[in-house]
Amino acid sequence: MTQQMRPSLDDPRVAIPADSTWYEPAPIPQTERQAEFLTLREGEMFVNMGPQHPSTHGVLRVIIKVNGEKVVDLDPVLGYLHRGVEKLCENADYHQAICYTDPLEYVSSLFCEAAPVAAFEKLMDVDVPRRAQYIRVLTMELNRIASHTLFQGWMALDLGGITPILWAFIERDEIVDMLAALTGQKLLYNYYRIGGVNGDLNHEFMSRLGTWMSRAAAQIDSNLALINENEIFVRRTRGLGVLDAKTALKMGVTGPNLRASGVPFDLRRDRPYLVYPELEFDVPTRDEGDSLARYLVRMDEIKQSIRIIDQVLHEMPDGPVMAKLPRLLRPRPGRAFGAVEGPRGVYGTYAISDGTDQPFRMRIHDPSFVHLQLVGPLTKGNLIADTMAVMASLDPVMGGVDK
Amino acid sequence: MDRRLAALLQEKFGERLLAPVRQRYDESEIRVALKDATDTLRTLHDDPAFRFEMLIDLCGVDTGEEMQVVYHLSSSTSGDWLRVIVPGLDRTAPRIASATFMWPGAEWMEREAYDMFGITFEGNRDLRRIYMPDDYRSYPLRKDFYLADDASRSPAAGVRNMERAGTPADATAATVLRKSPGV
Amino acid sequence: MAITRDPKFSNLPEVQPDGSVQSPATVGNTLWSTDDPRAYGGLPLEAHPNLELARYDATGDGRVDDARWGGALSAIPTKADVVLDLIRANSLWPLLSGLACCAIEMMSTATPKNDIDRWGMFPFRASPRQADVLIVAGTLTTKMAEPLIRLWEQMPEPKWVVAMGDCTCSGGRYKRSYSVVQGIDRVMPVDVYIPGCPPRPEGLIYGMMKLQQLVKDRRGHWPERAIGPTVPKGI
Repeated sequence: MTQQMRPSLDDPRVAIPADSTWYEPAPIPQTERQAEFLTLREGEMFVNMGPQHPSTHGVLRVIIKVNGEKVVDLDPVLGYLHRGVEKLCENADYHQAICYTDPLEYVSSLFCEAAPVAAFEKLMDVDVPRRAQYIRVLTMELNRIASHTLFQGWMALDLGGITPILWAFIERDEIVDMLAALTGQKLLYNYYRIGGVNGDLNHEFMSRLGTWMSRAAAQIDSNLALINENEIFVRRTRGLGVLDAKTALKMGVTGPNLRASGVPFDLRRDRPYLVYPELEFDVPTRDEGDSLARYLVRMDEIKQSIRIIDQVLHEMPDGPVMAKLPRLLRPRPGRAFGAVEGPRGVYGTYAISDGTDQPFRMRIHDPSFVHLQLVGPLTKGNLIADTMAVMASLDPVMGGVDK
Repeated sequence: MDRRLAALLQEKFGERLLAPVRQRYDESEIRVALKDATDTLRTLHDDPAFRFEMLIDLCGVDTGEEMQVVYHLSSSTSGDWLRVIVPGLDRTAPRIASATFMWPGAEWMEREAYDMFGITFEGNRDLRRIYMPDDYRSYPLRKDFYLADDASRSPAAGVRNMERAGTPADATAATVLRKSPGV
Repeated sequence: MAITRDPKFSNLPEVQPDGSVQSPATVGNTLWSTDDPRAYGGLPLEAHPNLELARYDATGDGRVDDARWGGALSAIPTKADVVLDLIRANSLWPLLSGLACCAIEMMSTATPKNDIDRWGMFPFRASPRQADVLIVAGTLTTKMAEPLIRLWEQMPEPKWVVAMGDCTCSGGRYKRSYSVVQGIDRVMPVDVYIPGCPPRPEGLIYGMMKLQQLVKDRRGHWPERAIGPTVPKGI
């Protein structure tokens, strides 16, 4: 089949195919929904927000069908970061499997470890020492604050503000350096073990934590004042992407996105784990369900996390930080589901053991995966720029989405 | 053992359950046959006694002999969690009815189960691959899909990693046996 | 539960019970085939539609070496080289190509605590047409390989590639995975490798300083590009 060639516009001596750009030809729809998406009516066209784009959520490709500037439909294409973690975990030890789960939601890495650790501890009937439980809660809440601070910066960056992301990274770097003093790593901590944590708190960590706690609340308030009172930010996000409670429940939404729609569902309250039953904290909920509400819920959660950290520091008991376990872990055959309330929602691991030293199936449920389905329905009828606002307010992390 | 929930499940679904209601750690678990799956899920969703309106997770499991689809349900009003296992899907052509009628958010989770196992969800309007490229032909999480150097199941059963085939051809005892600690 | 060995996978090696060394398990590609006729050497190289640009590249017509005076004046050894290299080295604009976790550390390098703006590298360009260096930060999967190579090809010369993180150096912790490219040097020439999972921002800065040295010495892979692992034999 001879192909029509035409001279390139960059340089007339170069010939390129006449009918298309380098990109793939018009796709043949394989499913009903895809056929509906690929049908173009009068005045509509596709805009491709490719896997590389200035939004910092990661490699997500969004094909937007627009009519002028208004979004008619949206099709996210995933898989650009699919690393095959579930398959790799099936061929690894239980300890190694925890290591593989770290980089899934890389900004909230401790939650990604906590869920499989919880599932495996259920499978193996392990009692975690009290001090280790308190340390886990402390580090998880610190990680939650770091993640929400980063969300704040990213949301502002996606809406065009450059300053908040720099401030957010300053905040995050403080917390993360503290955790690095404790765990040895800045991002992928690899700190939780089956039966406890890897090492006890040390002096460096405690001194940094003290310094940070003394001015954390004031610093966060000043950061908030920069954004919350910014008219552009508020007018762009208020009333955008309203998600009502019924739809949210049907779409499987959890976490701050659900709480911003009025459903006060928080795993730390409804299905408490570790030492959360003994801690006093509120679950911030809002009713509007728009992007601004999702943003404000997360900011309220930062304050609650500081409250939890305060209580944990006061009540931290002494004792070992790791249970005595054999080196080679072979649980009985069984199934367990371990879930934690991560900064994005319910992060769960469903582990099936067949009696050997490797998990038979380790299914990881990531909340960002479910939330990304919402981008299409929530952006319909809005402008292209609102796609980013909605996506930023849902706070997806592509590492977890793509596993 | 959550006796209240177990009794309720036994009463509503008695004859449809393939096994007695199990309590795994802090979660109840039931098994229903393939043909009863949709009705069971609809009852669990609609019935005011249960009100499992949150679908937490939907995944596929390949046991080597059959395939299963596992639903994790939760209630936002009561604190109940339930696992529904639907065993008995054929490994060569697994098909099951889709749950997107009740939970539209299951669409992508079913796409993932299709991509990884090949399970066809009848009624899912968008059943195409989600992680792998569209022209990929294998289903990676099946048990007969082997990673390149995992012919054995345990990492230390004598199969060397692909990148470490053995000692190099020009190795001598002097180079192989380390006498000093490395730098 | 019995997992019986499917006879169509008989090319996989048996397990040696005494732990003796085996030849590497290479699995031939009998499991699937692709619909794209261009893949895996399907088309002869000359017929490949993407090679127009490569053929044009080989003629050398588009190569403009602006460090040299043109024509008869090229006999003059110029200090413009030095100045141009200094300019290039001190304002290397990276392309925003953060794929995974290393992207967070890359962003952390750009932020005030580890400020890479000191070396002029703060403007992370979103468009490849305006970027100098492609810092591949994060795991490269087979699906993302094509967009990334397209990005790299769209960057105008001079351009450099920095492999940040273990996943881009060699596949990292995803060494046995079915969908991860085992190191980006399988698909593009790499100038600087920065190991770490993720490398600390100081590590990235050190790597970028090494890149600056490469730029000033005119080492590195541009313009004599090689694709493939560039570790010399005997290592």
